[in-house]
Amino acid sequence: MLRLIVLILAITSVIIIIANSIYVVPSLVAYSGIGSLGGVGYYASQPVPGVPPGLLVRVFLVNGSVVEPVDAFIDVYANAPNGIVHVSMGYSSILIVPFSNVNWQYVINKWVLLGLLGVSSSEYETSMLIFITYVKGNESWILPLVIPYNVAWIIENSRYIVVNAFINVNSIKPSGVIPAMPGITSVNLQIPSNRSGYTTYNCDLSAPKPPPETAFKPEIACLGFNGSLPATWVTWDKDVVQRDQGVEFQLTAGFLGMNRWDAMAVGYGVIGTSYSAEENWALGFYPVVFGSEVTQFGSAYWVTQPGSVYWYYGGATWAIVNYTVWFVNSSMGTYHLGNATVFEVLYVPPNDHYIGMVLDYGNGSVSLLYYLASKHYLEYPVSSIVNYAAFIYTGQEYLYQCNGPVTNASTTSGIAYAITLGGVNTAYGLSLAELGTGLGGLALGISSMLITPSTSSSVTSTYLEFFNVNTGTKLYISVIDASAVYGLPTFGFILNATNYYGIPSSVTCKYGKITQIG
Amino acid sequence: MVFPMAVRPLFWFFVCFVLVGFASSLWSLLTSILTVMPMPLPYWLLYTPGNIVTAGIIVAALMLALYTYLGIALVLNKMNRGFIPITMVIAFTIGITLLLAKLAIPALVILVIAYVMLIGTYAVLISVTTTRTSKALWGVATIILALTPPILIGGGLAVINYIRYMALVEQAMAIMASAIEAWRLGTHNP
Repeated sequence: MLRLIVLILAITSVIIIIANSIYVVPSLVAYSGIGSLGGVGYYASQPVPGVPPGLLVRVFLVNGSVVEPVDAFIDVYANAPNGIVHVSMGYSSILIVPFSNVNWQYVINKWVLLGLLGVSSSEYETSMLIFITYVKGNESWILPLVIPYNVAWIIENSRYIVVNAFINVNSIKPSGVIPAMPGITSVNLQIPSNRSGYTTYNCDLSAPKPPPETAFKPEIACLGFNGSLPATWVTWDKDVVQRDQGVEFQLTAGFLGMNRWDAMAVGYGVIGTSYSAEENWALGFYPVVFGSEVTQFGSAYWVTQPGSVYWYYGGATWAIVNYTVWFVNSSMGTYHLGNATVFEVLYVPPNDHYIGMVLDYGNGSVSLLYYLASKHYLEYPVSSIVNYAAFIYTGQEYLYQCNGPVTNASTTSGIAYAITLGGVNTAYGLSLAELGTGLGGLALGISSMLITPSTSSSVTSTYLEFFNVNTGTKLYISVIDASAVYGLPTFGFILNATNYYGIPSSVTCKYGKITQIG
Repeated sequence: MVFPMAVRPLFWFFVCFVLVGFASSLWSLLTSILTVMPMPLPYWLLYTPGNIVTAGIIVAALMLALYTYLGIALVLNKMNRGFIPITMVIAFTIGITLLLAKLAIPALVILVIAYVMLIGTYAVLISVTTTRTSKALWGVATIILALTPPILIGGGLAVINYIRYMALVEQAMAIMASAIEAWRLGTHNP
């Protein structure tokens, strides 16, 4: 009898293993965590009877070591190439949005139409925007999340996207629940009217099917930008123009592989990847020279005033989304529960279309980024400054190198000092720890737990070269990791003549190399 | 050939091997289906990497206990090859402890030894099984186990899907081999 049971169990195990390997049952193919805010699992599978493939949001209350499902208001939007569309909402600890949802299909059609000129829908790595509001007593907690997905999954109806959202009442700042009337909310941004790098528009697209009536009333204001999305840039102040005349620099950048643009939320930081695309380009050789008068000499730009120069993706769209939620009850009255502001990239043309370089004297896309950061719409943590280097004259000219390699090479136009910052990053979808666990499992015969990784890799290379550095040159170079501030996968260089950007009280140098020049 | 006294422990080893394999696949089946079902579930029940790792550690601990049992049973029956699974278990335990202590290089060395010993343990299993089918299935599983590291080192992440299928085949072979052997040993030892 026992023998028979053992045989049956063994055969059953083998059937399960086969079912798992050919995706008859949900098989975890990728998982990405979003800090302490949650995570999203992607399960490849044939449709499970009674459960249509799509998005499933699970909300958990995290209080100390306790993690338990909790009811919350879940509100889901889908990103279209040039706006956002309300897809679904509900009050529960789970919300399921099947791919067949009319509003989601409306968005998918917009992506498919965009791709009619020969781009496969599987090349579009867009995202869903989710707001979760948990209310307890006089306090509410709002969790904004951005969940990436591939447009082709919906057409193939082949994925379950399961979002685990963590309302951590100890780490997320609550809002006060206050009596107030719903009103027309708008992004209160005074965007400079004189702009050259982008145009603004209303990106709140109306869905074919209006949201259902609930006690929760969300309002959304979406300010869209269409134009040149910065890829990498250099900014200099007026002192540099005055003190470092004749110094020349070249900004060279290259992107290879999958680029990910992260969404940022005020007070939360990164909340997920809003858009990804294959990019494959490397460009440089447009020198910029600090001068006293505007002169065109060869291909060089002569600059006489503070500003920026940047490489950009043309024809991109990005957005600032302001979300406000109200609670309306006939007997209790109307309450304002809170709001959240998200900066996200909606679309970037694939395959290195429309790359360009342009100067920005306060009216371009880079100026917009600094403006948003200065208004605290985007956070500007000090830790986003990842490197320093300086040419300092103290009776003798020195080159101070901080964290990254600085090289010098003799060229026909003098010595070139190249600052490779950001260098080369190779990122795999699977961490080594996960891989190690998988292999450990393999060795012990638990191979079904081996997770197939997403093997896309991304290599970026950004460097800045200086020429005509002479005795007396004073130049402080600070480098910000732009993804930590704006969600842009690149680096920005800031040049000052008297101190590093933000005037840090101390500068930590891991490399700490000093070279005498001349 | 197997000593008669070793039949009973071997029978139970193979029975438990199947049970652990079944429990692990059943867990992955149920939890993966439940995860996509529209019903509230406690977080620990979801099919997430964290929970998969936890389940993996439990299964690994059970398997190590089983291999210890196998090794001791063989040694007690004067079969010195029983020291191979015992060495494997000790090496894995030390390797994982070193890994937890963040001593990556020594951990890697010890884990490589443990892996070689695991292949050796499979060879021991081939030597103590009594049916041709079972021997053949363990043999295929052993070959897969031996080929996996060179393929992975040579191919890197590009071949991870092949590794996944190889691992699944290896797992299925080992479970079926155990079930067939348990069936045979059960007839001799009702």
